[in-house]
Amino acid sequence: MEHPLIDLVNISKTFDNTMVLDDLCLSVKENTFVTLLGPSGCGKTTPLRIIGGFEKPDTGKVIFDGQDITNLPPNKRQLNTVFQKYALFTHMTIAENIAFGLKIKNKPKAYIDDKIKYALKLVNLDGFENRSVASLSGGQQQRIAIARAIVNEPRVLLLDEPLGALDLKLRQDMQYELIRLKNELGITFIYVTHDQEEALTMSDTIVVMNQGYIQQMGSPEQIYNEPENAFVADFIGESNIVPGTMIRDELVEIFGARFACVDKGFGVNRPVDVVIRPEDIDLVEPEKGTLTGVCTHLIFKGVHYEMEVTTPDGFEWLVHSTDMCPVGKQVGIHVDPFDIQIMNKPESEDEEAVGVNE
Amino acid sequence: MNDSKLKRFFQDFYLVFVLIFLYAPILTMMVLSFNSSKSRTDWGGFTLDWYRQMFQSSSIMDALYNTLLIAFISALAATILGTVAAIGINQMKRLPRSIAMGVNNIPMLNSEIVTGISLMLAFLAFGISLGFKTILLSHITFCVPYVILSVMPKLKQTSRYTYEAAMDLGAGPVEAFFKVVLPDIMPGVLSGFLLAFTMSLDDFIITHFTRGAGINTLSTLIYSEVRRGIKPSMYALSTIIFLTVLALLLITNFSPEKSPASGEKEKAGRSRRETARRILLVAASFCVIAAVSFTTYSHYAAARSNELYVYNWGEYIDETVIEDFEKETGIHVIYDLFETNEEMYPVIEAGGVAYDAVCPSDYMIQKMIENDLLAEINFDNIPNISQIDPEYMERSRSFDPENRYSVPYTWGTVGILYNDKLVEKLGAEPPDSWMDLWDEKFSGEILMQDSVRDAFMCALKGLGYSLNSTDPDELNQAKDLLIRQKPLIQAYVIDQVRDKMLGGEAAVGVIYSGEMLYLQELAEGKDFNLEYVIPKEGTNLWIDSWVIPKNAKNKENAEKWIDFLCRPDIAKRNFEYITYATPNRGAFEMLDEELQQNKAVFPDWDSLTNAEVYRYLGDEADSIYNELWKEVKSN
Amino acid sequence: MNKNASRFLAGPYIIWMIGFTVIPLIMIILYCLTDGDGAFTLANVAAIATPEHRKALFLSLGLSLVSTLICLVMAYPLALILRKRNVGQGSFIVFIFILPMWMNFLLRTMAWQTLLEKNGVINGILSALHLPNLAIINTPWAIILGMVYNFLPFMVLPIYNVLIKIDDDVINAAQDLGASTAQTITKILIPLSLPGIISGINMVFVPALTTFVISNLLGGSKILLIGNVIEQEFTKGSNWHLGSGLSLVLMFFILVSMALMAKYDKEGEGTAF
Repeated sequence: MEHPLIDLVNISKTFDNTMVLDDLCLSVKENTFVTLLGPSGCGKTTPLRIIGGFEKPDTGKVIFDGQDITNLPPNKRQLNTVFQKYALFTHMTIAENIAFGLKIKNKPKAYIDDKIKYALKLVNLDGFENRSVASLSGGQQQRIAIARAIVNEPRVLLLDEPLGALDLKLRQDMQYELIRLKNELGITFIYVTHDQEEALTMSDTIVVMNQGYIQQMGSPEQIYNEPENAFVADFIGESNIVPGTMIRDELVEIFGARFACVDKGFGVNRPVDVVIRPEDIDLVEPEKGTLTGVCTHLIFKGVHYEMEVTTPDGFEWLVHSTDMCPVGKQVGIHVDPFDIQIMNKPESEDEEAVGVNE
Repeated sequence: MNDSKLKRFFQDFYLVFVLIFLYAPILTMMVLSFNSSKSRTDWGGFTLDWYRQMFQSSSIMDALYNTLLIAFISALAATILGTVAAIGINQMKRLPRSIAMGVNNIPMLNSEIVTGISLMLAFLAFGISLGFKTILLSHITFCVPYVILSVMPKLKQTSRYTYEAAMDLGAGPVEAFFKVVLPDIMPGVLSGFLLAFTMSLDDFIITHFTRGAGINTLSTLIYSEVRRGIKPSMYALSTIIFLTVLALLLITNFSPEKSPASGEKEKAGRSRRETARRILLVAASFCVIAAVSFTTYSHYAAARSNELYVYNWGEYIDETVIEDFEKETGIHVIYDLFETNEEMYPVIEAGGVAYDAVCPSDYMIQKMIENDLLAEINFDNIPNISQIDPEYMERSRSFDPENRYSVPYTWGTVGILYNDKLVEKLGAEPPDSWMDLWDEKFSGEILMQDSVRDAFMCALKGLGYSLNSTDPDELNQAKDLLIRQKPLIQAYVIDQVRDKMLGGEAAVGVIYSGEMLYLQELAEGKDFNLEYVIPKEGTNLWIDSWVIPKNAKNKENAEKWIDFLCRPDIAKRNFEYITYATPNRGAFEMLDEELQQNKAVFPDWDSLTNAEVYRYLGDEADSIYNELWKEVKSN
Repeated sequence: MNKNASRFLAGPYIIWMIGFTVIPLIMIILYCLTDGDGAFTLANVAAIATPEHRKALFLSLGLSLVSTLICLVMAYPLALILRKRNVGQGSFIVFIFILPMWMNFLLRTMAWQTLLEKNGVINGILSALHLPNLAIINTPWAIILGMVYNFLPFMVLPIYNVLIKIDDDVINAAQDLGASTAQTITKILIPLSLPGIISGINMVFVPALTTFVISNLLGGSKILLIGNVIEQEFTKGSNWHLGSGLSLVLMFFILVSMALMAKYDKEGEGTAF
């Protein structure tokens, strides 16, 4: 078993009587791209700030490469942060910004100059040495913030919603840049975002968080295809979450119709939640469908059509398909067994939020 | 963990230290406002008397009224002018904008003394007589920059699109401004108003230069009291003002419950707090306006046509005497104070205010006569002149040769006051010569008079010269002597000698004989005695007399006033209050025998053989004295 | 907003400024350049070179520099602490510093006399604790104390106002890059708060340089500052021309500090309120 680089052990943190993290445990392996994903206010930034050393946990430990660094101040940690609003030093030139960490460590001037050149090249901003911070666009400032962090050769780069302030096109470009950087540098990235698409695009591992708990942790595919609870299913992409009953292994009943599935071990006649992605629903002739309904809504989305099919019980199914179905038409709903994801029904609000282990 | 706790402890400690530093004087004042002893240095027990006296004192209430009225009007005017100007300046092109902002910054960055002086010069040059309106104009001038500074940032934050959106939705430009732009910049406007109000309230220096006669703000009233010793009722007033403001602040800041971190609630809390603050501000302004209109009403309810402008030394009259005079004659008295003759003279000379009755000292009266500033008094209107002991009329001839311009009010000598215990402790003999003020044993224990003539008098007399010397050689010797004395001196003071000697701060002090009665009374029960001695080389015999300036507008009222003060019963009451010897024979005869025998107050004439009265020495000699005095002071 | 029209909203105030700021300054210059008979002279400015004026000026410069420095040293850590404690009560902190202004400035300064006197409150406490007494009343130190006391808020507020605008993450970034607390303060916070510092220095130095009240009240009138000289020329010596000349010399120092301020604070962010 590979030794984890960072281990958060039973971390709890309270701000102004509000529990932000409750007994959180998280391991990050060396040289991976880990994303903490969740809606705003879910407590996803706090672990990052605790790793960075800007917050101290109320209880629990931070282990870095086998060492307890919980009480180590940020300036003594072998990791660097890229901040949400870049946090560049406006009274310094670009070169001075990048050189800051190296000068603090008293590196020789030649070394620093080399590093500045190298870092600027790496972020595609050669020749920007003497520019002022104010003369840079948001995307450029972002790259400088990254350059400033990586010249220190950290073992881990922490990124706190670094693309949040950029527009869509720039964001996408920067996503590719980050992937490239990670591959070139070969270091660990811990990335915080609320943008699920960003998380899915870049990460090796995604940690979905809500209300201070880890909801699910896994590869992007696992998170998308096999959400472990309704929150994850709902937060990652669009989905139909319907109540159902597990008749027996590999057979689930939804609104009185029985669907074959691949899940086992939920018991017999147990109420469950069923997740079906809109693009996994096939619209067929009414008689061929497991359920039938009427198409009540249709929008052209470019790549596909978005439709709503209302079944007699009143549920509106969200369907994505490249085939169009006109409004008012009777259709049948068909889902392949492996596209059906079964989840336990939460017994209480609390349980809904409790972390599910790997 | 420990480390950060220690850090936090140091931070708390430092915060507390600074707070103590900032609030210790304020606390001191609050404590003094409950001190039944009039002296700053003694605790005489708890009392609320000063609060009662404060409400009864018309000079304090008038000053308060003026202060609030000026602060309110100037803050309001500055807020309107400044807000409108900020909008305009904000729309200007770069160059004119920076010029406008540069000029705008001048009153704020320029020193107050230069601003005050420049305004005073301009007012006088354009023939605007100094008074309420000049203070108001000056205050508006220095308040506007603060308003602009607080409105400007809010204007920059405000998106111009909100204004355009309002127009788009059908609002006219004016409507759009009031409904959209103004609410947006309101916090800036409000804080600008508050700031302007505070600045105006706290200003002394600019008011000092631009105020006219008969008008005092709290600051100028306090300044005129400073040298004499501030009346504790002033502390009482300040305590009330301070506590009121503190209460307002606490209410606005803490009234709504502290909302938890949740964003929505916080916003609600803040806007509620904002509303509370606005309501309070409106309420406060309403109170001010109500108070102002009430006082204005009561002011004008009294007949305004029959007036008398009096210019007198600080604490040189029993205030009830003024009230009685007003009651008896129906004349409204506008009463104003000066501290020194030198300060009074230019005011009369400039004629910015036409005073009807002034009470200068001997040599200054001579100067005023010689410079044709005084009107002859019609003694037919002053039958009580007969009550004045002819001895004093005779003495007055040294400065008013034909007794045509002045009526003696008080008289006395200048001598050395000493603390017998302290003198003994220092191993010195009780002083009996001016030269004892040069005794090294008294180093740091000497209080010297802070006025040119009195300081030079000590030195000249000590050297055996006349106190009216104009001989450059003698004066230079005196100057050198005074410079030699400087390291020995604790402080140059005027009327504070009294408080400091009572508090045991110094061993010897130069003092006017009129303070003695009061001092001896208060020193009773202390473990030391305060003794008064007229040095053997002789001293200054001074007479303060009432005169009527040439430009007086109410000469007959002034004569009524002087006559009233010469009435024996009034003169006696006055004497008992101010304790400066009265030249009024009728009053003297009414006094207790013990008082009549008090040699410190009423010395024998033969003990004053070497005593001289100050004479006016001419402008040239005056400026020599001033130059030499400046040399002493700057040494 | 119609740019062209609304620009004229500044009109009334510009007229006001000309009337009550510019013309009065011209008056001072007029007085300064003439003698009692109205003839042109430079003597009033040259008078600054006489020993007593020069001495008063240097003393004023010295005392105000020292008190400005003390204010800065006291105010900066204070502003840093206040910035840290700022959470949701920023305006309250500002009020703490403005509040004393509602107690009259002269009274506050007078109260220091009571505190500092030989038999005053502080010495009473010190004696009770068997500590040596403080003897600074009527010395230049008392004047410095008075200046620091009266003008400290004018140093704290502009620095604080600039500091609270600095994003927490900028400080975190510096620490993240390896800077210690001391390095963060010297390399990041001080350079970034320079506009506030400059404006604070101005707001303390100028009134301290020109004060006459503080030196009168706490210096026992033994110490003649340039402000006292000017005040006395106007109220006692009645040589207004000389007073104006000396005022103009003071204006020179004020202009120098204004120029400094304009250089470092182009955005106008370093304002006190």
